[in-house]
Amino acid sequence: MYPGVWTTYILILFFSWLLVLSVFGCTPGTAWTVVNLFHFAITYHFFHWKKGTPFADDQGMYNGLTWWEQMDNGKQLTRNRKFLIVVPVVLYLIALHTTDYQQPMLFLNTLAVGVLVVAKLPNMHKVRIFGINAEN
Amino acid sequence: MVRLPYSTALTTLFSYGLLFAFGHLRDFFRRIIDSRKPTTNLKDYAPICLGHEDFYTRRLFNRVQDCCNRPIASAPDAWIDVIERYSNDGNKTIHRTSKTSRCLNLGSYNYLGFAAADEYCTPRVIESLKKYSASTCSVRVDGGNTKLHIELEELVARFVGKPAAILLGMGYATNSTIIPALIGKGGLIISDSLNHNSIVNGARGSGAAVRVFQHNNIAHLEEVLREQIAQGQPRTHRPWNKIIVIVEGIYSMEGELCKLPEVISVCKKYKAYTYLDEAHSIGAIGKSGRGVCDLLGVDPADVDIMMGTFTKSFGSCGGYIAASKEIIHHLKQTCPAHIYATSMSPPAVQQVISAIKVILGEDGTNRGAKKLAQIRENSNFFRSELKKMGFEVLGDNDSPVMPIMLYNPAKIPSFSRECLRLNVAAVVVAFPATPLLLSRARICISASHTREDLIKGLEVLSKAGDVSGIKYFPVEQEKTTAVEKLKKIQ
Repeated sequence: MYPGVWTTYILILFFSWLLVLSVFGCTPGTAWTVVNLFHFAITYHFFHWKKGTPFADDQGMYNGLTWWEQMDNGKQLTRNRKFLIVVPVVLYLIALHTTDYQQPMLFLNTLAVGVLVVAKLPNMHKVRIFGINAEN
Repeated sequence: MVRLPYSTALTTLFSYGLLFAFGHLRDFFRRIIDSRKPTTNLKDYAPICLGHEDFYTRRLFNRVQDCCNRPIASAPDAWIDVIERYSNDGNKTIHRTSKTSRCLNLGSYNYLGFAAADEYCTPRVIESLKKYSASTCSVRVDGGNTKLHIELEELVARFVGKPAAILLGMGYATNSTIIPALIGKGGLIISDSLNHNSIVNGARGSGAAVRVFQHNNIAHLEEVLREQIAQGQPRTHRPWNKIIVIVEGIYSMEGELCKLPEVISVCKKYKAYTYLDEAHSIGAIGKSGRGVCDLLGVDPADVDIMMGTFTKSFGSCGGYIAASKEIIHHLKQTCPAHIYATSMSPPAVQQVISAIKVILGEDGTNRGAKKLAQIRENSNFFRSELKKMGFEVLGDNDSPVMPIMLYNPAKIPSFSRECLRLNVAAVVVAFPATPLLLSRARICISASHTREDLIKGLEVLSKAGDVSGIKYFPVEQEKTTAVEKLKKIQ
């Protein structure tokens, strides 16, 4: 609906990679792993953990739904959703490629992308495993 | 799809993302610090507000709330006294001082200059205040129907060009209580996507089905009409009881006129009723001030229901509906705001009567015609000068409302505060009144602004625009000295 959202997302990821590289002075592969893990933490928290909306006007109608479930009014597999599933996978591939598939990074990156992609699948709509995060 | 330059969209989204991130960081630390405080004595009660619900208000709006709700200390004339305020804790609490600053008023809906004392209106208003007192203390159907109310209903009907009219005490309440009285379950309301909140509220409260068509897009209106008439009501597919299409004369956030002749012809073709909300256009546009029908050459008999308010061009408060005698008769018996709400205050009614008489020229002078010519001239001059300076100004020619696009959330307070510092009172609008990326500053021109006032306003807006960086369009080179040349002519 608003132009430039996808581009802003990709640009933020790219610039945070540059930031991590300049602050920590590590190898590009480690930097991509760090970006991937932070991306995992932040997007998991905002898309799949926090529920409700930042506005009080809707009177708590969406208080049981995470932001991922509210997106596009609950319609599955729209363009936005497909894009957001592809981004963690692409990040994963870049991180693995630049670290040459070495061990601690491989495990952490795979864990991150596994959790994120599973959480975004259409079958997981409104599913709460073991009742975690089920209260409003 | 919202239209704006791509690079501006990127920077605006990034700014909102940054504000969002900082807001969440602050919330996170606040939760840690507050977990050590003792819990309140309201144990086991549900919280009035869940922590995340007012995130937008607390972390985005409160930072810039000194740009809103500014108290004023005079009548909203061309120049206005704004009370100075200060804050010691980053705008969480704001305190008034006893000083005021005299600012050029570019924010009030004072289209014809009736907002301040007027040589014809004010003595008559004071007379009626002495005779009828400040309130009728009753509803219209009980004891609140004075001679003034009846006179105004007839005058409004004559002014607008309809057989009869009904008055209500508040403009917002007019839309939100009349629409449910006109249509109910089994009916269809088709409303423009940028309609005012009062119409949305009335439509939702009526129980009718509501469909929206893209703003001013006649082809889409026709498509929606055809689809809905063919489908009928949801699930039963019975034909709709009635279909009402609701449009506004001037859209206050865009400054645009509606394409009234085309809307009327489409509605006639598909036998739908039309409801025209002329809150901003009545009295302000058209050769004789009769609103958008006058300006676009539409016969008022073609519009089924015409609604308007007295707040903008007439310097009073309240709203009216003008329609055929049968519809008004029905509304007088079913509209809750007529039956249960207190009637308009008599001095306010007298103000509207006097203002309409001035506009029509029935006070014996040609001040009305002069005011109408003045506001048209002022609006066109101001808009063309702003465009020459490079601002992105929306709206059609002849419309006294001109929004200047800001886009970026940081430019909203910057523009507003800089204008106030230079003694111009301008109104800025952001989400949720406008789409998220399309925040704007809205300028309302009045007939009481003189040429010097407008030139001073242009200078200040230009300086504030430079500070905030909102001159998105190229400046027209040979005309940059327009302001200096104009000053020399003065």
